[in-house]
Amino acid sequence: MGTHNEATTRAMSFDDGVPQRQMRMPPLIRRNIENGKYLSFLTVAFVLGAWFLVTGMGWANPLFLPSPVSVWQSFVEVATTGYQGSTLLEHIATSLYRILAAFAAACLVGIPLGVMMGTSRAANRIFNPIIEFYRPLPPLGLYTLLVMWLGIGESSKLALLFLSGLPGIIIATISAVSDINPNYIRAARSLGASRWDLIREVYLPGSGPTILTGMRISLGFIYTVLVAAEIVAATAGIGWMIWDAAKFLLGDVVIMGLIVLGLTGMALDFILKITGRVIMPWTKLKTH
Amino acid sequence: MKRYVLSAVTALALSISSVQAQADAPEEVTIGYLNLVNAQLVTKSLGLVQEEMPDVEINYIKVGGGGDMLRAIAADQVDFGGLGNPPTAIGVTRQLPIQGIMVLNMLDYVEAMAVRTSEDIKSLKDLEGKTIAAPFGSTTHYLLLNALNDEGIDPASMEIIDLRPNDIAQAWARGDIDAAWFWEPALGRVLEGDANLFMTSGIMAERGYPTWDVGVVMNEFAEQYPDYVEKFVRAECKGIDFWLNNPAETAEIIAEELQLDLRDATRMMQGTKMVPCDEQLTAQYMGDSNARGAFVDNLMSTSTFLHEQKRLPKVPSRETYEAFLVPQYLEAVVQ
Repeated sequence: MGTHNEATTRAMSFDDGVPQRQMRMPPLIRRNIENGKYLSFLTVAFVLGAWFLVTGMGWANPLFLPSPVSVWQSFVEVATTGYQGSTLLEHIATSLYRILAAFAAACLVGIPLGVMMGTSRAANRIFNPIIEFYRPLPPLGLYTLLVMWLGIGESSKLALLFLSGLPGIIIATISAVSDINPNYIRAARSLGASRWDLIREVYLPGSGPTILTGMRISLGFIYTVLVAAEIVAATAGIGWMIWDAAKFLLGDVVIMGLIVLGLTGMALDFILKITGRVIMPWTKLKTH
Repeated sequence: MKRYVLSAVTALALSISSVQAQADAPEEVTIGYLNLVNAQLVTKSLGLVQEEMPDVEINYIKVGGGGDMLRAIAADQVDFGGLGNPPTAIGVTRQLPIQGIMVLNMLDYVEAMAVRTSEDIKSLKDLEGKTIAAPFGSTTHYLLLNALNDEGIDPASMEIIDLRPNDIAQAWARGDIDAAWFWEPALGRVLEGDANLFMTSGIMAERGYPTWDVGVVMNEFAEQYPDYVEKFVRAECKGIDFWLNNPAETAEIIAEELQLDLRDATRMMQGTKMVPCDEQLTAQYMGDSNARGAFVDNLMSTSTFLHEQKRLPKVPSRETYEAFLVPQYLEAVVQ
């Protein structure tokens, strides 16, 4: 009770009784280290360390790879005084507006179209050639056409982002809808489900998780096209800031802009993933 | 034995001298030239550089604008290049390893501001609330902001957007912009439509804002092959002389190189001022080894302006620009 002899110490240790040095760590953290959950932190730390080393030793041209310190300084400066008339927040907001508006439009068009193409062979045959043809076209090539038709304002930018995000959602939706276990459909039909009931109660919930994955991939495509969309006649936006700074050889602003862009992308993806898990609790949890 | 030693020594001496000769000549030379109307097109078309350096492979790379040229220089993709004064200011401040060796051209009405006729724009003040386009970071963007500044007009009172000349022509046709300061040949296409000429770069030059393009060479190339820099300058000077003495043939060459019709090529030629090489060494332009000329002042005022626009982190010293301009090669050619 009061005495700590060898037997009680062994009983208190968290291993299987084999004499080991007790690690003075909460068990959860110890288990996570063993699982490798903190490996991501190691990667980030390694990349940051390499960056400091390469720039500190002068191995890289400071024009192309500025030091982390100067990138941080440009972040602070743009966040407070701004870049060419807009603060960092305003640039981020402008870009996010374009990204989210185009993404919402792509989902609103893509998901119903995908469901239609997935359930009706006729619809599939009608729309397939158009999608398969424009899908591999390079965004900048498409963009020149869009600017010719829609002008240099917001509409051509939103159209480009919308067209980039659309195929991913459509294809993921078609594949998700086609993969639904036919027994669910037969069971629902045998209970008297109409076509509309089927879509609402079987197709959408069953394909939901895969559609969400398609949406996340689509969002990634939209991001890659953002800089291209903001090259022509933009005055604000993170993509525009990166492009404009590159013209004036402001390498630190370019890198800072890329990092900010990447971080916002990660944040949006995370929000999508969590929202998906919340509204679709039947999503199979995988190792992500 | 003696004959053997003699032949061995001779062989050694010959091989050393041949290695020396090889080290003095580059295998290939890459010349980046701007998509502009100047004598470089003549030099290229007549093969004058190849004449000067017969055993070297000459590569010509056409570059869209100052920004692209800066990138090509920073990525070490060209040996010779050309830059307008704003990109030069940016490049020198960013310590790109280049030196200015000659004047490629002075800009007159080949770069100009066009305004939409139907908008009835009579003065710069009328531009308030309108949409104006210019390629950011270029000579014309620099002139636009200076022109507004001189009349005390706030650039924020209008919408100034960044477009390349071809995109400007397209946007003009769609009615998206009311004015634009840019250059030929897109300028010529726009002037055929609902547009008229409002201000030219030549007028701004008279007001004290000259714009020009300077030929540059990478420092490393110049250190390794100084004779070849001289050969390049000699070839370009011959091209300039050809331009000045043979306007009709030059117009034909330009028309062919840029794929224009003769009328446009002639107009663009007349809107660009070429400076004969001996004149380039006078105080109005580059100056000579004893005293640099007005180009240093131009670069100083350009950098000061860019710094105020928050485009440059600092303004370099006069000495930096004086060191940047290297008239030695011109002097060697002109003698």
